[in-house]
Amino acid sequence: MLIVVLIKGVPARTTQVLTVSGVLKREEMELVLNPHDARALEAAFYLKRVVGGKIICLSMGPEPKISPIMKELFEPKEESRLVPRIIFPGVDHCILLSDRRMAGADTWATSYTLAKGIEKILQIHREAVERLEKAIGSDELYEIAKTLYHNGLIPHEIYSELPTIRDSLLARYRSGQIDEAGLRDGLRRYKDGLGRFIILAGMKTTDGETGNTGPQTAEALGQMMGEIIPSVAFVREMEIDPSGEYVVVLRALGRIIQKLLVPLPCLLTLHTEYEPKIPSPVHLKKARYANYIPQKSRIDVWNAEFIGADPSKLGLMGSPTIVGPGYEVGRPQAQKVIGESLVFARDVERFEWGGKTYGPFKAGDLAPELPVELLREMRAKGWVRVFTLEDMLNELFGGLKVVSRTV
Amino acid sequence: MSLEQYKDVWAYCVREGDSLTRPSLEILAAARKVADKIGQKAVAVILGYGLDRVVENAIAHGADAVVYADEPWLEKYQCLPYTRVLCEMAEKMKPYAFLFVADELGRDLSPRVAYRLNTGLATDNIDLAVEDYYFGPTNTTYRNILAQIRPDFATRVAKIYTPRHRPQMASIRPGNFEPLRRDPSRRGELIRFRPTPVEEDFKVKILEEAIQRKSQIDLEGADIIISLGMGILRDGEGNPRNPREAFTLVSEILELIRRNYGLKGEIGATRALIYSELKELEGLITSERQVGQTGRTVAPQIYIAVGISGAVQHKVGMIKSKKIVAINSDRDAPIFELAHYAIKDDLYKVLPRLRSLLAGG
Repeated sequence: MLIVVLIKGVPARTTQVLTVSGVLKREEMELVLNPHDARALEAAFYLKRVVGGKIICLSMGPEPKISPIMKELFEPKEESRLVPRIIFPGVDHCILLSDRRMAGADTWATSYTLAKGIEKILQIHREAVERLEKAIGSDELYEIAKTLYHNGLIPHEIYSELPTIRDSLLARYRSGQIDEAGLRDGLRRYKDGLGRFIILAGMKTTDGETGNTGPQTAEALGQMMGEIIPSVAFVREMEIDPSGEYVVVLRALGRIIQKLLVPLPCLLTLHTEYEPKIPSPVHLKKARYANYIPQKSRIDVWNAEFIGADPSKLGLMGSPTIVGPGYEVGRPQAQKVIGESLVFARDVERFEWGGKTYGPFKAGDLAPELPVELLREMRAKGWVRVFTLEDMLNELFGGLKVVSRTV
Repeated sequence: MSLEQYKDVWAYCVREGDSLTRPSLEILAAARKVADKIGQKAVAVILGYGLDRVVENAIAHGADAVVYADEPWLEKYQCLPYTRVLCEMAEKMKPYAFLFVADELGRDLSPRVAYRLNTGLATDNIDLAVEDYYFGPTNTTYRNILAQIRPDFATRVAKIYTPRHRPQMASIRPGNFEPLRRDPSRRGELIRFRPTPVEEDFKVKILEEAIQRKSQIDLEGADIIISLGMGILRDGEGNPRNPREAFTLVSEILELIRRNYGLKGEIGATRALIYSELKELEGLITSERQVGQTGRTVAPQIYIAVGISGAVQHKVGMIKSKKIVAINSDRDAPIFELAHYAIKDDLYKVLPRLRSLLAGG
């Protein structure tokens, strides 16, 4: 089964982000794996253990920033700046959609692009089987199979060099256990099965925080393929039927808890609290037949032409939404330090002191940077005093009046 | 079709009993605000089964009209049929804007609706305005378009515009608009839509559905959150303390605040504290309480950070709280950068003092 995991590089320090006219300048920041994507990778590993297949990591972004993250996903380390700790043996293949025209995309344009990438992945795998189908009867059949196999484009069940798998489809054909019709039938079944893929994503990213891209990618891909591809967001538990036909998921939408049967192909986004189930060992052997030779350390970079994308639907120009100028908020106006800050104890009219005018001030205002002498005088007069815990409670709760109290 | 032909501000409202959920009433108020600015109608959009009373309540809560579909097959929420019906409604009636609640259901549904309608979706807005916007690449000023105001990267807000597409879709975070008061004398138009179910939309099957009790930890719904960090393991002199003490103190303080002021309180925690899995806090500090990048994003009236140093990952989850109090004996803790009130003292001295003040002592 093809298991596509959508990942994203997000700024390592979410609060230090450069924007120029609202567009994220990712190439100027260090990017790390979106932490929510770790759950999707764990789910992918679970699926591979039960039904086999290959885990393909798909992303869109600038190559120099995303490649280091992808490299670590092939063989996750104990400690990494780029990838959180995941119990996960690594992905099989990485594909990066990268093209200047893809820059500045909103979730609509991103989803369109990712869906085109997934469409291409499916196409490549279908074409691999079709090459085999065409080669039936020719001398090249096994050479072609071998190449496709080593490039991770056909699984062990079709052709295998593993000593433990001696009954691949082609091995059985070669030994006469099945005839040409049997071989064609087996290849056709496998090709049909390619349509039962699954796409996994984190429930949101820590930079955009929208959570749109998962469901929108399913919608976009469905439109391209002419069928409805379901999306289920916020999956907390997931089990796949060993047939690979459907998954059963549990998710919460606020207070509504739904247990859903979702046929493949489908897209799931994984909730932060998702924990993979432990697969039953009975599936492990069978699952191996569906595995492909991992393409470790191979990152394929695909541009807009390669995935057949309509350039008008890419990047900034393909995005319905436009990010206007941002403005800073969230800095506290003024900080009051309990037991230290001086505040006015009462309203004080405008007054003169030492030839200068000050005020007016309101009770509770922080006493600004006034001459030390003046502050001392005002403290002596009881105009200003030190801000206390009681004052804070008064400001927070509008007085310490007790509404009701049980004795 | 020109953009000007798109009229009215729609709000997708979720039914609760005979009325609507509170966040739905909030976005209806948001739709009302925008509709009044552009002189058009605020429309509640409702899907479900047995909606007679619900649609009347939507009018009473400020809708000028209700567009609804009342069908047995729409009784339970399902993404695919709901997406199709909402898209058919919008394609037929052409709204100027379409609002959703930025909760889990809204996030499951609205992205698909937006993609299928070939329009943008600005999520997590805290306010809406109507403005003119000049767009350089097309050298056009778009008049009276929606400015969708959302927090951006923790310390900024950004305005998102969808100038060239309709409807302009936005999801609104709960807690940013006040529902309009119910006025049973209000009159409005009821427009019933009669969709046809499409079999393919039902390929996802609901095996079970349950409505969870409300008693769960509800950080998003709390007026005040007191969060605990690793600092509760030691007092100001560095002596080890049983973190259970801090938990109990904070529980008591929240209970007093609830009694005195009617404010709903909840205890939050940092990721570090949750994942240190302390025996003393077993069953008390669970991952449901996590505030921060990989946990909940909260914006209560009051946020009190107790023994929290203030890692960026924590800050992004609470920076939008209206008033922030930080208690930490480390005078240089980064959490103080955000605090409106800084208490640079031993939390094991401050918390008992707070408790006694709140108890009236």
